[in-house]
Amino acid sequence: MEHDTEFADYARRAWGSLVRSAVFLGCSPHEAEDLAQTTLVRCYTAWPSVTGADNRTAYVYRILLNCLRDSRRRRWWGERPTAELPETAAPDAAAAVDVADAVHRALAGLSKRNRDVVVLRYFAGLTEQQTADALGVPSGTVKSRLSRSLAQLAADDHLTDLRPDLAGGS
Amino acid sequence: MTDLERHWEELPVGPAPVDAIMRRARAAAGDREPTRRTRASLKRVGVLACVAAAFVAGTLVAQQDSGSGGSTRIPATEPAQGDAAITPAAFHGELQRPESCERLVDHYVSRAVDLVGRHGWSSPYSELGNLHAAFDGVRANTERLSGYAGYAKTTGARASETGTNVQEQGVDEPDTVKTDGELLVRLRGAELTTYDVSGDAVAELGRLDLGDFHDGEILLVGDTVVALGNDGTRAPSDPYGDYEQEPSPQTRVLTVDIGEPTEPALLRTVDYDAALLAARQHDDTVRLTLSKGLPDLDFARGRGAARANRELVENTTVADWLPRVSVDGSEPSGFLRCARVAVPRAEIGLATTAVVGFTADDPAGLEALAVAGDAPLTYESADHLYLASTGGPDFFCRGFCSFDGISGAVDGTTHVYAFSLDGTGASYLGAGEVEGTVRDRWSMDESDGVLRLAVGPSSETGNFNSIVTLRAAGDELVEVGRIDRLGVGEDIKSVRWFDGLALLVTFRQVDPLYAVDLTTPRSPRLLGELKIPGFSSYLHPLGPMRVVGVGTGPQPGGGSGAQLGLFDVTDLSALRRLDVHSYGAGTRARAGDDPRQFTWLPEQRTMLTVTSRGRTGYVSTVSIDRGRLGNEQTQVEYGDDIEQVRLVPLPDGKVVLVTGEDVEFFPLD
Repeated sequence: MEHDTEFADYARRAWGSLVRSAVFLGCSPHEAEDLAQTTLVRCYTAWPSVTGADNRTAYVYRILLNCLRDSRRRRWWGERPTAELPETAAPDAAAAVDVADAVHRALAGLSKRNRDVVVLRYFAGLTEQQTADALGVPSGTVKSRLSRSLAQLAADDHLTDLRPDLAGGS
Repeated sequence: MTDLERHWEELPVGPAPVDAIMRRARAAAGDREPTRRTRASLKRVGVLACVAAAFVAGTLVAQQDSGSGGSTRIPATEPAQGDAAITPAAFHGELQRPESCERLVDHYVSRAVDLVGRHGWSSPYSELGNLHAAFDGVRANTERLSGYAGYAKTTGARASETGTNVQEQGVDEPDTVKTDGELLVRLRGAELTTYDVSGDAVAELGRLDLGDFHDGEILLVGDTVVALGNDGTRAPSDPYGDYEQEPSPQTRVLTVDIGEPTEPALLRTVDYDAALLAARQHDDTVRLTLSKGLPDLDFARGRGAARANRELVENTTVADWLPRVSVDGSEPSGFLRCARVAVPRAEIGLATTAVVGFTADDPAGLEALAVAGDAPLTYESADHLYLASTGGPDFFCRGFCSFDGISGAVDGTTHVYAFSLDGTGASYLGAGEVEGTVRDRWSMDESDGVLRLAVGPSSETGNFNSIVTLRAAGDELVEVGRIDRLGVGEDIKSVRWFDGLALLVTFRQVDPLYAVDLTTPRSPRLLGELKIPGFSSYLHPLGPMRVVGVGTGPQPGGGSGAQLGLFDVTDLSALRRLDVHSYGAGTRARAGDDPRQFTWLPEQRTMLTVTSRGRTGYVSTVSIDRGRLGNEQTQVEYGDDIEQVRLVPLPDGKVVLVTGEDVEFFPLD
C-alpha cells in the first residue's frame, strides 16, 4: 500500500534521530529504541494526522515526548529490566551504554524543561518553531531556555565550542 | 566539536526495525487490545473452599498491631473490632504476615532505597527514573481509564442482571449504563440521568450533577448507584507542564440514592489516594482493587540531594506506603492494619495492592487486606479473587507500549495469589507461579477448583502460547497440567473458557482457532484447529453448536475490515466456519475492543453489535437463520461518542439504544 511505503520510508529516515533524542532525554539505548518504536507505531496508527499536520516533525517529536511522559506518569515501580540486551539491540550495545552514560552525566545538571529544549533544538536539529510546537510553548520560550541551557552546559565544560548563531536564535 | 555533539554522532544506532514497527502498528490499528476472553458458569469450588474454611477457622488474625503509629487507624466507620468472623488475612507461605508495622516498613524501605537518587525516585533523570516502573501502571490504569478499550473483554452467554456483558456470571462489572429492567441509569461525564424504560417510550426522570467526577463508570445495587471515577486532580491541567509535580492517582467512589428516581440524591463521597485497578459487584458487595505506588516525598535538589533523599526514604512510615481513605471530605486516614498487609516472598514490583470490600449502603465500612507488592491483574469468580503480578515484561516494550500489554515478571514468571471471598471480606488461600506471561485478567479462569491460565511467551518459555492448569494443595497453587506449542510465534487474540473446554485464538497472518479439552485438568488435549483468514478478537457462544467470532479480516473487495464469522463447534475436532459477513474495507468491529458493545438476544436469535467506518457508527443487526448470517445496518452515532453506544436488553424483550446524547428503544423487526 502507498500508505505503508510512505510510512516505511519515513520510519527509516526518522529512526536515528528519534533513538538518539530518546537517549539524550534520559533513556538507556535499549529503552530508547523501544521508545522510538512506540513513537513510530503511534505515528502509523495516526498517519493521516501525521502527514496532515502543518509540521510533521514537531508532531512526531510531540508523540515521542508523550510516550516518554506516559511512561513516567505511572509511578509504580516494577522490576528492573534484565541486564542483557535483547537480540534486536544496537550492534555495538556496550559502546552505546557507555555513550549514554556519558550523555546522562553531562546533561544531568539541566532541568527537565531546559533539557527538552536543548535535545530537540540543538541536537535533533528541529527549528525554533518546530521545537516550540513539539513542546507546546511559545518560540520565545524556546529561545530563552536554549540560551540559558547552552550557557550552563558551557560553564560545565560540556559544550566548550558554543555555536553563537544557535544560542542567539534564528 | 564538543563532547556532547560527538556523542550524538557516535551513538551506535541499529537499522530501523521497520517490519516490527509495521507489524505492531497493524496489530494496534486492527485490534487495539487483542485478548478477549469469555467465560462460563462456575461450579462450586470444592477444593479451594475447603482450604479457605480451614484457614479462616484455624488462624484468626490478631486484632492489634504493635507500634502502628497513627497510620493504621481504622476509619470510624469500619465495623467493630469484635467482628472476628470476617477478619481476613491469615497469611502464610508465599505471602508473609509482617511481625509488626516496623517490619512492614522495613520491607518497603529496603526495596525503595535502591530506587531513590539525587533527583528523587529514579535515575538518571528524575522524570525518567521509573521508565521501567511504568509497565504496571500502564496496565494498572488501563482497565479503568480507557474502560474496556484497554483490556480484554468478555461475555457470559447472557448479560448481567444490570444489562452488561461481564467476565463471570454473577459478578457484575461497571459500565456507563445500568438497568434493573424498568429503570435505566446512565452516566455521561459527571451527569447521572435516570430513565423509565417500562413504557412504550423511554422517559427521562431525573438528573444529578456529580460535581468533580471524571472517567466514571457505575454499578447498580438495588436502589443505590455506586459511581467509580476520580476527582480530576490526577489529570494534569497542562499536558506539557511540569509532570514531576503531578499528583499520585486518585479514586473517588460516590453513592447515589435513586429510590426516588426523579430526584437522585448523593449519599456518600469516598476518596482514596490510590489508583483503581478493578471493581466488581457480587450481590450487594462491591469490591475494589486499588494500587498505591511509590509515595510522594518532598525530595531535595542540588548538592547533597542523593544522601538527603535516601534519608527521606529511610524515614518513611507506614503512612507513606499504605493507601488512605477520606469520607465526605474528612481528613484522610489509613484503613489497613499492618497485619493485613502481606509481604510477598517473590520479588514482585514495589507498590501496595489493596483489596477493599464494602456494601453499597455503607461505602465507608471497609474490609481490606493488601499485598505489599505490585499484583495488579484482578480476576474475580463468584467466590474467589486472584491477583497476579506482572513484575516487569520479559521484553522491555511489552509493558511499556500500551498496545501490547503483555505482563510477566522480569524473571519470566507470573505470580498468582488466591483469596477466598466471604461477603465484604477476603482471606488468603495460597499462591502459585507459572513460567510465562499472563496477558490480562481474561487469560485467567477458574472452574471446579482448577485455575486455568492462558500463558504467553517469556524468557523462560519457548516462543509459543500455553494453557496451564493449577490446583490448590495446601497453601500452594500447584501446576497440574499444561499444553504447549499453541500458536508458535503468534500472539493470543482471544480466549473463551468453558467448564471443560478452552477456545483460543492466536494470530500472525491467519487465525488459528484452537479447541482444547480441559475435562482432565492434568492433561489438556488439543481437539481441533481451524485456520481462516483474519482473526476473531471476540468470541460469543450461542449454544453447544455455534460460536460467533467478531474480528478483522480481508474483505472481498480488497483491503482489510471488520468481519463476523459463524462457527460450527458441534464436533470440536472438525471446527467449521459456516458463514462470514464482511463489513467492507476500513470498517471496524467495535465489539472487538469492547464486548459491552455486543448484545445477543437468544429468543430472537439475533445479535446487535456496533461497527464503524471512519467517524460514523452503526448498529449491525445480525440474524442467524439456518447457518446463514443476515445483516442490517443502522446509522446511530458519530465521532468519539461511538464508544458510548450500548444496546441494553430488557427482560421484556425490548432493547434500549444508548448513544452519546439519546436514550431510546431500538426497533427490532
